[in-house]
Amino acid sequence: MILLYLDPGSGSFLIQLLIATIAGLSIAIGANWSKIKRLLGKKKHKVETDDEDDDDDKDIQHPGD
Amino acid sequence: MMTIKISNTPAIDASFRDPSGFLFMREGVLYRQVNQIYAEDYTRLMDSGLYAKLVKAGLLISHAESGEGQAFQAAEPAVAFKTVRPEIVPFISYPYEWSFGELKDAALATLSIQKRALKLGMSLKDASAYNIQFHGGKPTLIDTLSFETYKEGEPWVAYRQFCQHFLAPLALMAYRDIRLSQLLRVYIDGVPLDLASELLPMRTRWNLGIATHIHLHASAQKRYADVAVSEARSGRKMSKEALLGLVESLQATVRKLVWKPAGTEWADYYAANNYTDAAFEHKKVLVGDWLSKIEAKTVWDLGANSGIFSRVAVETGAYVVSSDIDPAAVEVNYRLVKEKKEQNLLPLVLDLTNPSPSLGWNNRERDSFLQRGPVDATLALALVHHLAISNNVPLPRVAEFFSTCGEWLIVEFIPKSDSQVQKLLRSRADIFSEYTQAGFEKAFGRWYTVKESSAVRDSERWLYLMRRK
Repeated sequence: MILLYLDPGSGSFLIQLLIATIAGLSIAIGANWSKIKRLLGKKKHKVETDDEDDDDDKDIQHPGD
Repeated sequence: MMTIKISNTPAIDASFRDPSGFLFMREGVLYRQVNQIYAEDYTRLMDSGLYAKLVKAGLLISHAESGEGQAFQAAEPAVAFKTVRPEIVPFISYPYEWSFGELKDAALATLSIQKRALKLGMSLKDASAYNIQFHGGKPTLIDTLSFETYKEGEPWVAYRQFCQHFLAPLALMAYRDIRLSQLLRVYIDGVPLDLASELLPMRTRWNLGIATHIHLHASAQKRYADVAVSEARSGRKMSKEALLGLVESLQATVRKLVWKPAGTEWADYYAANNYTDAAFEHKKVLVGDWLSKIEAKTVWDLGANSGIFSRVAVETGAYVVSSDIDPAAVEVNYRLVKEKKEQNLLPLVLDLTNPSPSLGWNNRERDSFLQRGPVDATLALALVHHLAISNNVPLPRVAEFFSTCGEWLIVEFIPKSDSQVQKLLRSRADIFSEYTQAGFEKAFGRWYTVKESSAVRDSERWLYLMRRK
C-alpha cells in the first residue's frame, strides 16, 4: 500500500482511541480493584502503589545510578 | 516543512524537518537553535521540571544555555528564541545497526519518556527511533525539541510513528526473522504497518498487543485511508487516562517481545576455535599494549564478535564501536554492556562487505558508516581471512578500506594452514595465491608502515601495528 494522496492518520487515530479506551478502562479497574472487591463483599486487598517511574527503569540499565 | 539554509553555519542535514529548530556546527562546536515558534514549549519543558527529571534519569541529553556567562549566538537570529549547546554523543548510530535488545531498550526509553512527559503536562510529538542514541551505554533522547504541550482530549500524534519505528521491526525480529531489522534501512520512516502485518506469522494475531497495534492498526489505516482525520475523529476526545493506558499497553507489548541469541554461528566461537588460552591471552596483551602506546581515544573494533578485544580497548581509555555482522554476537555484546554498566562501548550490527550507506533526503539525512569516522585506531582481528577468502576481496583493497577508517590499524594475519582458514577453503577452490604472509605484508605496505609486529604465542597467527602512510 503506497499512500500518495491518502492519509493513514485516520485509521491510526481510530485504532488508538479504541485501544486507549479499553486500556484506560482496565487501568481504572486495576486502580480501584480493592474498592470493587469490597463492594462485592470480598476481603480487603492491599492497594498497589503507583510507582511507574521505578517500573519503567527496570528495563533500562542506568550506568552510574 | 521548513529548511533553513545559512551560508556560514549550515543546518545539519539530519535536523531539517522540524520547524521548531535545528542543529548547526560552528567552529567545531555543535549547537541547537530553538526557534521562536517553539518558545512556549521549550519554556514549559525547562520550567515544568520535565527536563531536569529526564536528564537525571539519563533519558534526555543535557544541554547548556550559555557558556562562560554568555548566551550562545544563533545561526539564524531572525527566527531564533534561544541557542543551546547539547552534550555530545560520541558516536551516532542508527536503528538498522542495533541489535534486538538495543532497539527494544530504545523503544522502552521512548515510552518511559512519554509517560513522564504526560505527568508533567507535555507529550512527545515524535517517536522516531533516530531521536534515540546510546549515550553512556543507555538509550537517550537527543532531540530536545520533541516535546509539545499536552492538550486534554488529544490523542498521541506519534503513535503511528512509534508502531512503525519500534513495534513493527521488533515484532518481525522476534516472531519472523532477526534479519528483518534491515527493513529499517529501506523504510526511513519505519516499517509500513500493512507490510509488517503481512509478514508476521498467523500466531501473532493471538498476541493481543500485536493483534491490535499492528494487525488491526494496519487494517484501520487501509479502511479509513480516504477519510480526513477531522472527519474520523468527529469531535471524539481521548482522556489522559486513556492515553496513559495506550502507552502502558505499548509498554506491555514491547516488554513481552523476546529474542534469544542461540544456535548461531558465532555464539560459541570462542569455545570451538583452535585458540589456546596462551595465544588468546598473548593477543590481549599485545592489543592492550599497542593501543596504550598510541593513546587511541576512539576505536572501531571490526568483526568484534561479542567484544572481548573491544573491552581490552576500553580498558586503555578508548571509546569503542564494536561491530559484527552477526546479530546474535551483537546481542550478547549488548547484554554484557548492560550487565556490566559499561559506558564506553557501543555494539552494532554491521556487514563490512556492505556497510551502512548514506540514506534519506538528498542522500544526506543519515550518514554512511565511513562518514562517521575516522577513528584513531581500527582493530581487525581474525577478520582479514573472512574478507579475502569468503568474500573474494583482494588484500590491497582490504588494506585500502581499513586505511579510510583511521590512522592506526591493529590487524591479525592468519595463514592458510590455520584450521579456521582451512574451514573456509574446504567449500571453495583455492584461488587465493596471494594469500600468504609475504603477500599480506606487500599489500598492506602500500597503505601502511608496519610499526610493530609479533607472532602470537602458541599459534601460527601474526599481529601487526600499522600506521597509515
